[in-house]
Amino acid sequence: MAITNLRLPLEGIRILDLTMVWAGPFATRLLGDMGAEVIKVEAARAWDLLRILGLQPRETPEIWNKSAYFAHNNRNKYACTLDLTHQRGRELLLRLVAASDVVIENYRADVLERLGLGYETLRSARPDIILVSMPAHGATGPEAGGIAYGTHVEQLSGLASLTGYPDDPQPYKSGIAYGDPWAGTTAAAAVLAALLYRRRTGKGQRIEVAHREALTNVIGEYVLAYAMDGRQPPFLGNRHPLHAPHGVYPCAGDDQWVAVACESDEEFRRLCDAIGRPELAEDPRFATEAARLQHQDELDDAVRAWTSGRDHYQAMHQLQAAGVTAGAVLSVPEVHQDPHLRARGFWEPVAHPGFATWDVDGVAWRLSRTPAHIRLPAPRFGEHNDYVFRTLLGLSDEEIIALEREGVIGGEPDLSLHR
Amino acid sequence: MTEPAPEGALDDLTVLDLSEGVAGAYCGKLLADYGADVIKVERPGTGDPARRHGPFPDGRPHPEKSALFLYLNTNKRGVTLDVAHPRGAAVLRRMVEDADVLIETFRPGYLADLGLGYPALREVNPDLVMTSITAFGQDGPYAGYRSNNLVALALGGQLGMTGSPDREPLKSAGYQAEYQAGLHAFGATLAAVFGARIAEAGQHVDIAMVEVLASVLETAMPYYAYWGKDTGRRRGNIQSAIIGIYPCADGYLGVHAMARNWPALLRLMEREDLAEDPRFKEMRDRVQHNDDLEAIIYEWASRQRKDEVHRRAVELRAPVVAVHTLADLFASPQLRARGYFQDVDHPAAGRLTYPGPPFRMGATPWRAGRAPLLGEHNDEVYLGELGLEPEEYRELRELGVI
Repeated sequence: MAITNLRLPLEGIRILDLTMVWAGPFATRLLGDMGAEVIKVEAARAWDLLRILGLQPRETPEIWNKSAYFAHNNRNKYACTLDLTHQRGRELLLRLVAASDVVIENYRADVLERLGLGYETLRSARPDIILVSMPAHGATGPEAGGIAYGTHVEQLSGLASLTGYPDDPQPYKSGIAYGDPWAGTTAAAAVLAALLYRRRTGKGQRIEVAHREALTNVIGEYVLAYAMDGRQPPFLGNRHPLHAPHGVYPCAGDDQWVAVACESDEEFRRLCDAIGRPELAEDPRFATEAARLQHQDELDDAVRAWTSGRDHYQAMHQLQAAGVTAGAVLSVPEVHQDPHLRARGFWEPVAHPGFATWDVDGVAWRLSRTPAHIRLPAPRFGEHNDYVFRTLLGLSDEEIIALEREGVIGGEPDLSLHR
Repeated sequence: MTEPAPEGALDDLTVLDLSEGVAGAYCGKLLADYGADVIKVERPGTGDPARRHGPFPDGRPHPEKSALFLYLNTNKRGVTLDVAHPRGAAVLRRMVEDADVLIETFRPGYLADLGLGYPALREVNPDLVMTSITAFGQDGPYAGYRSNNLVALALGGQLGMTGSPDREPLKSAGYQAEYQAGLHAFGATLAAVFGARIAEAGQHVDIAMVEVLASVLETAMPYYAYWGKDTGRRRGNIQSAIIGIYPCADGYLGVHAMARNWPALLRLMEREDLAEDPRFKEMRDRVQHNDDLEAIIYEWASRQRKDEVHRRAVELRAPVVAVHTLADLFASPQLRARGYFQDVDHPAAGRLTYPGPPFRMGATPWRAGRAPLLGEHNDEVYLGELGLEPEEYRELRELGVI
């Protein structure tokens, strides 16, 4: 008999999250979505910068609890405060480690060790702990101490040097800090691999995710090609090395575009019919893939002539109905409203007490029998101190008051850190 | 005496990889490189279309020498099987009995029409995790639409955010929608496997590229969802003066300075005088005088050499890097010191350099390896492990099913 009432995959797994900004919090967002109990550890002088990056005016009361950007990356998590530069803070962290399965951090390579919280110390508190460190360059090597944020990582990975327009010499950056979600997803997967190994053997381990190394994985075929011929390939823009047409074409309206691609002669014939130019399929300049690759400019003109009077959605639907690969280039508002994602129930309403209710992206890891949802809004600064210190660690009221008085826990984010 | 091979984290997993193209193959590669026994199931004759993709040595197409295929199929074993043939489908069902994971990237409904949809395979093996990766997912209004990497980037929002604001949006190089989906599929697959604590707890994992992409639009999605503001319009290479790519004397420099990096940036530029400049004192001042700052950085960068700046930036902990070309990657002192790139021999393609591990596990190493030849492990898998009778095996070969 099928079992219908399955638990979320990571229920019962506790993760201490020392990460900040995007890459690390995105890793723990994914793990939290899958049911892990993620406890975000911050302090008055070590808090997540995303808390004040959210378009909210600086004068907003409790600005740190009202960031849309922070909320987006920290749903399904708890948050506590604990000052790790304080001896007592480190002791309490080790007690939390003893009750946890995973510790994840994205400090600079040497910080955890200097805090006296290196892997061996964590292991002495919890022998099978899984420690994930996310230094952008890796913890070793001559550049280990260098700064590298998500955009830098794209530039270090080789990807930026390969992205560009054929008629413009400069390499282009992505519209997002591409290295961050890539490193974060990599780290989340690494945690799962380590959990599977621990379940089989009882052994924990430490894991290192060097962002730039992780991201060079996305240009693997270019690395091999360089090993073959030693050449930096020219920018292809939106074109494809094997197929044509393959591009982004203007539509009616300001900054409206549709992507169109043909991957076979049959598909090209359907495109020619759809755009009312059946004779093009018989034209020797376009009859074969090889010929089309030689005459892309003329081909693009023909496609553009058809798309430019049309709405981008209309162009997509019409070409798709004719059996041609096409997709409207959606703006962010359009992605948010797109009927396909709406029909799949991708957006979920999230209420943040004292702030607002929004529809945000739900869980892209869709598991048929354990569908995951947004269970918790992003935590306010130190929101779950009570749970962490009283319930998990069993501290008394007196102890908690004393810790607050000494500044080990509690307080408010020191806003002078990010000006 | 030889050392026993070190344990891999995923040594106990058996995976059938029916995928074609990039996303599923990358997911399977990650499973294989961390220890899983991944059997790549290709169509007889031509195999995975990635075998025809290239680039090829000397530009000469050869099914065993395509860079894309070689990279995405490391450490897998290779068999051929025509699953569209009823006899092939029957063989696949037998293979599913002993598999933990099956990866596929066909259009939704294709396998179901062959009697190989998730409900059918679940009957064969209720513990199976079946991972499907497509542009739009298994259902919804666009599920039947034709798709590829470019179209997924378009509908997932990343295409419209990248490139110059003065012209058409720009696709990131290669197959970025597919790679992202493949990495997410790897994570989701492991989550499903980990979640199966009890018998008969297999699942169908449905990864849609457009959902993966829409999850990572950085600030643009939350700012729109929460404030109704569209901040996701593409801004080319200069997002703001302190986030961008600047040309230098012999290449390009990438700048990304948060508030705390400002003093180090000024030291790198040897412009500590600007620290007292009222135009740039705090972050909000820099935003207000963005164009002045951009002009200053532009002028500075144009006189610099990328390697020199890159080296000094590490020393000063300044937020600037050299935009690395492929030559820079191969020469990188950092990647060399860490032994990132791996030279791997392949019987047809020879020795080539491959990217190394995306993450390093202390106890259970990643392993370098090579891609299989088309049908290389047919005998071993079908005769040895599946136990097909030699007569049946010969017949299936004659029918072109294997």
